[in-house]
Amino acid sequence: MPDKGYLALVLHAHLPYIRHPEHEHFLEERWLYEAITETYLPLLKVFERLTRENIPFRLTVSLSPTLLAMLVDPLLKERYLRHLDRLIELADREVGRTYHTPFHEMARNYQEQFREARRVYLEEYQGNLVNAFKKFQEAGRLEIITCAATHGYLPLMMVQPEAVQAQIAVAVNQYKKFFGQTPKGIWLPECGYAPGIDDILKKFNIRYFFTDTHGVLFASHRPRYGVFAPIYCPSGVAAFGRDVESSRQVWSAKEGYPGDFDYREYYRDIGFDLDYEYIRPYIHPDGIRVNTGIKYYRITGRTNHKEPYVPAWAREKAAIHAGNFMFNRELQTRYLNTLMDRPPVIVAPYDAELFGHWWYEGPQWLEYLIRKIRYDQDTIELITPGDYLERFPCNQVARPCTSSWGNKGYHEVWLCRANDWIYRHLHLAAARMIELADTHPYAGGLLNRALNQAARELMLAQSSDWAFIMNTGTMVQYAVNRTKTHLLNFLRLYDEIKSHRIDEGWLRWLEEKNNLFPEMDYRVYSKEYETA
Amino acid sequence: MLFFLSVLGTLILSALIFLWLNKKPHLAEKKPALPEPVAPVPEFKEEFSSELSPPGFAPATPAEPELPRYYGVDRLVLLARDPYWLYAYWEITATKQEEFAAVHGPTAWAGSQPVLRVYDVTGRSPGEQKVASYIDIGINEEADNWHINVGEPDHTFYVDLGRLFPDGRFVTLLRSNTVTTPRASLSERTDEEWMWIEGIYRSYRYQFGLGSPMFAEEMAQRAGALPLGIGSPGQWQKE
Repeated sequence: MPDKGYLALVLHAHLPYIRHPEHEHFLEERWLYEAITETYLPLLKVFERLTRENIPFRLTVSLSPTLLAMLVDPLLKERYLRHLDRLIELADREVGRTYHTPFHEMARNYQEQFREARRVYLEEYQGNLVNAFKKFQEAGRLEIITCAATHGYLPLMMVQPEAVQAQIAVAVNQYKKFFGQTPKGIWLPECGYAPGIDDILKKFNIRYFFTDTHGVLFASHRPRYGVFAPIYCPSGVAAFGRDVESSRQVWSAKEGYPGDFDYREYYRDIGFDLDYEYIRPYIHPDGIRVNTGIKYYRITGRTNHKEPYVPAWAREKAAIHAGNFMFNRELQTRYLNTLMDRPPVIVAPYDAELFGHWWYEGPQWLEYLIRKIRYDQDTIELITPGDYLERFPCNQVARPCTSSWGNKGYHEVWLCRANDWIYRHLHLAAARMIELADTHPYAGGLLNRALNQAARELMLAQSSDWAFIMNTGTMVQYAVNRTKTHLLNFLRLYDEIKSHRIDEGWLRWLEEKNNLFPEMDYRVYSKEYETA
Repeated sequence: MLFFLSVLGTLILSALIFLWLNKKPHLAEKKPALPEPVAPVPEFKEEFSSELSPPGFAPATPAEPELPRYYGVDRLVLLARDPYWLYAYWEITATKQEEFAAVHGPTAWAGSQPVLRVYDVTGRSPGEQKVASYIDIGINEEADNWHINVGEPDHTFYVDLGRLFPDGRFVTLLRSNTVTTPRASLSERTDEEWMWIEGIYRSYRYQFGLGSPMFAEEMAQRAGALPLGIGSPGQWQKE
């Protein structure tokens, strides 16, 4: 039998909901703009080119509901364009400034990249990146999956299963609205799994999710194929475990590809490097230096000494690394073929924002990898978990181990001394929300609006991003404020609803400010909630 | 490191004192902190327009939002953080305290110690849980949460919060939910069950020998490679 194996590449795209109509220039809003220019558009460009050249590929992409909501938000779209225009202006100036320096070629690359981004964003996609991704799902290239509504860390929400149910229900409903079908799979935020979550997924006909390696490996019954085949939870929902080797090759900043000395250095940005008066119009209006996205150096070495970036060298490395990645998957497959009586599936999930934003050459690498898999070998085949389950519907049954892909593999990142205080509030708010849903089965009018907004505020407070940021120690104040503000908004709405004194002006302000999930139905918190 | 931190602390403190002494509007505005993200605080840059325009319907949320310390709900919630640690938080209402005083006397509260009693009820049915083993953790009166080191993966626990009297009597005030710590190693259970999913679920069960040989090999190869910081992968590496 010829050697045969599957590679399931998974890109998880997520940003927390950051939208501040009250400030024109909001630092954290830039995360979205940077991700669009540096990650989403470059990835789409790769998909476009491969499709145009008739090179088949199958990838899994999870688009978190908060990201989708931001990508279609008119205010953020307008602001993105303004942001991009400033960036183009800066790039234009840079082309002049760097004339006759080793940076000139890169300056022109940036100019070209940003102008191209503007053209594609406006003309090809009419400002709608959701439809851009959707197009590739319909063409059979992407399997788009969902994520929990606001990226809530589900294992620590299982104190109230209805709170998890609501996160899933809102995600699934939004997915149906955007993509016209039910999501086959889900990316559990931070790969956070705990028993019982799969029962809720089952209720929504979600067929699979991912765990970190030990989530499958340490399952209740020893999995015969390790992480190289999915297991079924007793509920029948499949769990795919992350492969260690392919993860490390890409993820690790030290031993992984992104740390190669020829690749672009992320931490040398002209927003910090250039003369203050020159750069001032392009950083934050309060004079706070920020990353502009224009970076001229390669990693060079382990010291602070940096040499100019040479695009041709980096491109060459991306091709070499793609070849190396493929070669290792072939080796892995051949080895596994001697141990398994079916083709292994190697699951390689990454944060989408790693590609392009952190690892500038990431999209190039992905494109080379897909081309090489097509032309240079016939051992491995790209697959999505949905396709795999159709080919191999019989799988071992075991209960995955509670786990996450965070540091140390369990919940500590989201439950440590820096953030443990949030749970007494989050759980209480969830209990109150469930109570509201159970006591108001048929609310209409203003009451209905208040209940829906209460659900939005609770969900925004539950974003795992806040707990994560509190743990990392940078931008902590923002994360703390977001958690507290949404909780306070919720608590006030709860009191107003209970005392029949809803302040409509304030409610309208909240609805405009925290406007995600317009299709919100607070009944998702009801114990009796039935999926459509 | 410590020295560095203390120097840093002193620097921050003196900077704060300096800022406080020099408190002027323009200084307050230019503090290096990020722009106030959530609360719609008026921007002094646009002093003119904001002072003339009517206050609108945006509420004056305080700059530093503060959550309630108490909700008036008696509760003790237990979470399993990882294979070795639990986390508990709780609230005891004044009513609960008064009830305690009514039953045990007005000096009983002061004459007893707050204690977390951690029960290991692994593998026990609810009826058998009374005879479970437990450990007591003395806590301080002000505590309203605790990280508990149980060191037992794949064990099931619940916690009672109560008062311990000098004579050894323990009075439970609150009882938590039950949680199970995650596994930290491969399961010993090697019997296999398989399932087809084709709309209808069919499954069959058969016994598989003592662990497939693939595992020994694969584990040896992967030992220590799991992206986990704790010692668990190393533990089964040695075996």
